This record gives sequence, structure tokens and C-alpha cells, in this order.
Amino acid sequence: MRARAVALATLASVSIVGIGWQLGSSAIEASQSLTASSGGTAMAATVTATTDAAARAAAAAKGAADVAAAAKAQADTANTAASAQAAADAAAANAAAAAQAAATAAAATAAQAAAQSGTFTGAVVQTQYGNMQVSVTIANGAITEVLPLQLTNRGGRSVGISNQAAPILRSEVLTAQSAKVQNVSGATYTSEGYLRSLQSALDTAGF
Amino acid sequence: MVGDYEGMPARTFATMGTVVSLRLGDFAAAVDCAAVEAVETVFRRWDERFSLYREDSELSRIARGDIRLTEASKSLRTCYALALDWRERTQGVFTPHRADGVIDLSGVVKALAIAEAGAVLTVSSPANWSINAGGDVLVGGNAGHPEWVVAIVDPGNRSEVIANVPLGYLLRAVATSGSAERGEHIWTALNGEPSPFRQVSVFAADIVTADVLATAIVAGGESTLNEMTERFAVDALAVLRDGQLLVTPGLRRTA
Amino acid sequence: MSLDTRKTRVGTAPANTPRVTSPHPAYQKRMRLADSLQILCIASVAIVIAIFLADGGAAKFGTPADAFTSLGIIAGLVGTDLLLIMLVLAARLPPIDRAFGHDQAMAVHQSLGKPALYLILGHAALLITGYSLAENVNVVVETWNMFTTLPDMPLAFLGLALMIGVVITSLVVVRRKFRYEAWHAVHLLAYFSVLVAIPHQLSVGGLLRDGAIARYYWLALYAAVAGSIIVFRFLLPVIRSLRHRLVVDRVDAVAPGVASITLTGRKLDRLRATSGQFFVWRFWADGLWWQAHPFSLSSAPSARGLRITVRGLGDASKQLPHVKRGTRVSFEGPYGLFTENARTLLRVVLIAAGIGVAPIRSLLETVSFAPGNATVLLRSHSLGDTYLVDELTDLCRRRGAELRIIAGKRPKGVSTWLPADAVSAGISLSTIVPELESSDIYICGPRPWTDAVVRDARSAGVPKKQIHYERFDW
Repeated sequence: MRARAVALATLASVSIVGIGWQLGSSAIEASQSLTASSGGTAMAATVTATTDAAARAAAAAKGAADVAAAAKAQADTANTAASAQAAADAAAANAAAAAQAAATAAAATAAQAAAQSGTFTGAVVQTQYGNMQVSVTIANGAITEVLPLQLTNRGGRSVGISNQAAPILRSEVLTAQSAKVQNVSGATYTSEGYLRSLQSALDTAGF
Repeated sequence: MVGDYEGMPARTFATMGTVVSLRLGDFAAAVDCAAVEAVETVFRRWDERFSLYREDSELSRIARGDIRLTEASKSLRTCYALALDWRERTQGVFTPHRADGVIDLSGVVKALAIAEAGAVLTVSSPANWSINAGGDVLVGGNAGHPEWVVAIVDPGNRSEVIANVPLGYLLRAVATSGSAERGEHIWTALNGEPSPFRQVSVFAADIVTADVLATAIVAGGESTLNEMTERFAVDALAVLRDGQLLVTPGLRRTA
Repeated sequence: MSLDTRKTRVGTAPANTPRVTSPHPAYQKRMRLADSLQILCIASVAIVIAIFLADGGAAKFGTPADAFTSLGIIAGLVGTDLLLIMLVLAARLPPIDRAFGHDQAMAVHQSLGKPALYLILGHAALLITGYSLAENVNVVVETWNMFTTLPDMPLAFLGLALMIGVVITSLVVVRRKFRYEAWHAVHLLAYFSVLVAIPHQLSVGGLLRDGAIARYYWLALYAAVAGSIIVFRFLLPVIRSLRHRLVVDRVDAVAPGVASITLTGRKLDRLRATSGQFFVWRFWADGLWWQAHPFSLSSAPSARGLRITVRGLGDASKQLPHVKRGTRVSFEGPYGLFTENARTLLRVVLIAAGIGVAPIRSLLETVSFAPGNATVLLRSHSLGDTYLVDELTDLCRRRGAELRIIAGKRPKGVSTWLPADAVSAGISLSTIVPELESSDIYICGPRPWTDAVVRDARSAGVPKKQIHYERFDW
């Protein structure tokens, strides 16, 4: 290899890596500042993802109100209206479930969006499951779809793995703080089996 | 034991060989009665048409060969098509046929009945409600308030629970399947091998997905568990034969 | 030593021939191409690292687990990039052949094998370590978990196993134990091993997630590599064979077991072959069709025909001197930089031994030099066992080159390319050809002999770029 080729290759490589580094560090900064800003002012807008049309229709009016309220509140706290975000408390991922525990700040941009229809992309938010970004589709004021755009584990593994069922100890299972249980889920009991079931005990206690 | 109970009244009625527990939140008494009646009607209609336990159900008549599938009602055929669709989506692990080839829609019928009942309740009043049909639970209303909590029963000791999981937000439904709860209830896809799971609970946005996937995972074992939790927006809690738990991240207690 | 110096120079050689040191015009052009290709290769490694950094990779070194994982990802990216470069090098791309020649391209291909394997092994080891640290389990459990729970991992492990197999069978020591066909069959599994590793990169690799630029970059890279392999390695030879429809026109016995085979076909001028190049030939005759052989042209190619001179050695090529007129021939090629394109200076020395005389003979026909600026050295055991010597004598006479035949057995236990008596007399390449340093040297012969000539030339102070040799033993 000739000296001039070595020199040119070194120059090219250094500048390519340098550009990558620059892009990377600005991306890191951006995601950190977004997390900070949205984390502080996160609004709870209820996303009701219902599958049956009837329920969705019923929820539509309420969803519109919620989103509008959230967007307005957000616009008030943010200095520029353009950067205001409607933060959704749920949202996210293959892990609609993961979001429940994790994403408190998945956001739909544009304050005025609340009253309109369209798809809005939120900021990248760092959660316990890694970076998370969602897009929120709003139709007639109601959130109709929350789609994960990005969900990566810290280890660089992607979405799928985040929702793998893994072995855990019984003490590690989720336990609701309220502990006010109304229903019991178990393998189907028969009419006779019901009488001996925990559900029966709960239902009886209800009267 | 289960813990405190909030004091919301429960209505129960027997249908589909099990008992349905219905909880209605802030319904006024008059609405209350009408709503319970409407829900009972929904379950009765599904039971009459699709139960193989009832000699006179449309599905029993098809199974006996009295009528052909092409002559069946539109809703039965729709239901069958939906079950076949789920067979595709679970890569054949879930199937609407018994081992002897007879069409058996019980894997989806109860869930469809619950879903329709839920839709009826949502339309009739925007209050909180929960339906528990034989251990399959769907909640609705103002999601998250009050927080609906469902306990997952311990298959090793049915008077104990493994987890108390709040429903609401995106995951409003949970269904649990056991491997030997009801005789041959789950048609296994593992060439007659016993399931590695004693019990599988699936949390999903809708009860049909939850029910079908719980059934499929028990039948298909761990590979199906991994595929389904990855492909669908669900959480799952599986109890292995030795009592160990396999749990998706969403169901882990956060530190 | 019997040194047969035939008086083949035109007129009398001037006593003080001016030293010709000006560069050959082909050299600058070729080196620009070579430089660009080398820069492209190195930049491709920089690009994959840059993509990792652009994704925020620099922030992923905080904990030991993260650091292991990030290093593992980089190792995988760079290793895969090297693998793709290797595939391209072996794909016989015309620009690569023009810039480096098949021989040197394959030498680079060979030298990249182990580094690529180590990087891929490191990728697996580092990621297993990183993940097991992150999940607080031992590496065995983590490996099993990866194998069973991550999508497409069984395929990726299969790819790794195949790659280990391919590299091991290519180690010089192991490779000698295989027949060429068996080794080559194993070697082709390399394509498969790269292929089966792709799914896990797309499904498990967070960097290549859906919608990421990195995903499209890598997919484009794979597509480009696959495309060039399919086109240049497989399609182009088939198309050329069909287009030119070569058939054996005549077979002339040169010596016992050695024959010159002349091939004719259609539109041969469009083949753009030049003297000194080789083709991989396949003769469609009983007992011959299943083996392909690389043979160099033994005379300058023309629209009328191509000629090769072959010695029936191993296996089926024994039958080659007896191949029948009219036999259809398919081919891959032309390949090689053992041509005028490799020139750096205006003076030339051609050195051949045995059947290596074939490409030297064709080079002598067309390589550019002013009368008096070329020397041809023919090395043989005895004056009688040289091939094509009449043709060489004739060509040297016509073009004004000097032909010397150096005959005699090599001394035992000494690594030299010259006869024993020449060695003891202190004769070397530079004493035979005084203008050596200002010449391009073309060497063709058996591998150990060629290496000895190269060593001699190097010790005489000839720069590497002036020494050209092409080996076509595998």
C-alpha cells in the first residue's frame, strides 16, 4: 500500500468516525434534554386502547377532552407553543405492558394537535427498558393507536427481547399496592367448582 | 389470602358450565338491573348456539352431522372463521377442532361472549364494570379508576394467589388456562405430550387475544410462549410444572 | 551450469545502454485505482464504526456489561465488514483484478480470514459476557438463553460453526490434506455462513432495528456484495461462454505430455483478454467436464483464436493433451495482472521454468519494450527439456530481446533457483541481468522455485512493485 493511500485512508476514516461521533453525541444530548423536559412536566392523558368499536366510540369524546387538556397544560408550562407536548401516560411498544410500568412520558408533539387528526411522533424517552419512542395516532380528537417506534434494551438488544418471559422468584411478581382485589383469574372452574373458588369468597363478601 | 375487598356488589349467574361474576361500579339501581339482564342475555345466546355441552346447540348439531357447516348461521361461520384466523396467528397451536376432528369453538366462544357483554356495558353506561366468567376477566369504564385488581390463583394451592395485578390502561383483559383443569379442554399441539405449564395467564387489550393465547401457550409450551409475548402486546405469567414462574417484564415488581 | 546464450539481440548491443528508469504509463493509472480501492476498504470499516457511534454508541461504555456489549457489537460489525470484503475479493471483480491481480487479491483474501474469524468469535464471546453480566447469570446459562430465547440465534451459531470450519480447512497445513474439489466445496459454505448470520443481525441487533439508517446501509451492502458475486462470479462466465462458444480447433504436441491447444470462437476480439492472463477452463469431454483448470494463454489472444499450452499432470488433466478437435469449452476469465498492466518501468525481464513458459511466451509477444531492453531467462534441468523454445527464439529475434537458457540441477539442501554450479560460482539474478534494478521482472514457475527467484531479486534491491508473479497452483 502506498504512503499516499495510507494517508488518504487515515484521513477519510478519521473524518468518517468523527462525523459519527458528533452525530452520536448530539443524539445523546438531545435525548437527555428531552427526557428532562418531558419528565418534569409529564401530563397524564389517558389512553384507552379498546378493541371493540362500541367502547371506542364511547371513549372518543372523553379521549378528545383529555388530550386537549393535556396539550393545553403542556403548552402553558412550556415557553414555546411549538415544542409543547401532549404526554401520554401509557403508550408504547410491543410492551403496551411495558409502557404501563415504564413510560411516563411518551409524547405527541404539537399542542394544537389535540383537536386535530394525524400521527405524531414523541421524543425518545429513557425508561427502565431502554430508549423508548412512540407515535400516537389521533383521529377526531381520540387516541386511536399507540405504536412503538423504538425500544431498545440497554444492551443493544431490540424490542422483541424486552417482552420475553423470564424465570423469576415468586417474591418478584408484581403486587398491586392497593391490594383491593375484585376478581380472581385461574383456570376455568365449573359451576360446582365455583363454590369452592376464591372468586366465590370475594363475590359472597360483596353482598 | 386475597386482601381487602372494596365492597362493590357482585352479581353472579351460571352459564356455559361455569359462573359469571359481574361487578358494576356507580350504576344507578334501575340501570343496574337492565345491564345485568343484558349481559345474561348475551351469554345465554352464545351458549345456546355454540356449546357442545348442550345437545340442542347449533354447533352440536353440526358435530352430529345434522346440518352442514355451509348451512350454519352467519354468526357461527364468522366465529369459525375467527377461530381459524387465530389458528394462523398462533401457527396452528390454537385450533378450533377437537382431536377427533369435530369443530369445537369453546376456545373462543366464552371470550367472544365476554367481549360482547363488555361492549353492551360500555354503551349502556360509562361507569366501571368487570366481568369474570370462569376465571377470564375483562374490565372497563374509566380505566384505572378505581384500579381493578385481579389476583392470579396458585395452581398448586387454589386458596392462595401468586400475584395481584392491576388491570386498566392498555391491558384490560386477563385469561388463565390450566393444563389439566377440565379434562381434555386444551387440545395439545405437542403430539400428545403433556404441557410444561400447569397454568398460563395472559394479559391483553382484549379478552379474545388473552384467552386464545393462554390456551395456545399451554398447548405449545415455551417456544409458543416466547413467540406470542414477542408478537402480541401482551404480558404473560406462566407456572411451570415444578411451580416455578416465567414472567414478562411488565409483570415484575419494580424496585 | 550450461548457459545457452543465443544471440538474439538485433544488431550489437551497445556497451553502455542508458539506464531506463522512467515509469511505465500503465503504472500511475493502475495505482490510482488500487489506492481508491484500498481507501474504500478501510473507509468501510470506519463507516460501520461511525454508524455505531452515530447511534449514541459512545454513551454505552458506562458499566462493564455495557462496555463488553458495545465492544462485542463493534467486533461483529467490523468482522462482518471484513467478511464482505473477503467475499468481494474472491468475486473476481474486474476493477480488483485490474488493480491487484487475482493472485494478490486472493492473498489479501487469505490474510483477512483469520482476523475476520477472530472478530466474529470475539463478537460472540464479548456479547455473551456482556449479556450475562447484565442479567447476572453465568456465561453457560446466558449462552443457552441466547440460543433458545433470542430470535434467529440458532442460525447465527450455525453460521459461526461453519465459518470456523471454513477457516480451519483453509489453514495451509490442513488444506494440503484435501483434494482441491473437497476443499473448495467446504469453502463455498462461507457464503452460506454469512447468509445465515443475517437474520439475527436484523432481529436481535438493536442497531439495525427497523427504520434505522444502519439497517438500510447494511442491507444495501449485502445486496451489493451478493450482486457482484452473482454477476461476476457466476453470471458473467456463463454469458461469456455462451457468447463466444469456444471450441478446440487444433492440438499440437509440444513434448511428451505437453500440448498447445488452440481454441476458436465467435467475437473473440470482444473478450478483451491480454497476453499473460489466465482463464479457468472447462473442457466438455468425457472425464474432463467435472474439473475446471486454470491455464495461461501461451500466445497473444486475437480475434482468430486463443492458445494455451498445457502439461498433463494430475487427475483429469492427463487427458488434456489428447482432447479432440471440436470439443466445446466453457471458461471463466480472463483474469490476472501478469500482464502489461502491471508494468512500472520501461525495461523488462521475463523468467520462466517448466510449463511456466506459457504466459512468458505470450507476454514476450506483446509486452512493450524497445529492442535491447528485454531479457528472457528460461530455466530447465537440461537443455533438452524446455518447451516452446523455438517459438521463444523466434520471438526474441524479431523483437530484439535476449534469450538465455539456464540448465542444470538445483543443489540439494540449498534454497536457490539456479543450478548448483552457478551457485558455487557466485552467480545470481543481478549478475545475469545487470539492468535488474531498472526492470520489471515477470516470473512464472513452480511455487518454491518462484519464491526463490523473488528472494534473489529482492536481495538484489529490486522493489516489490517491480516483481510480478502469478501462482495458479491452489
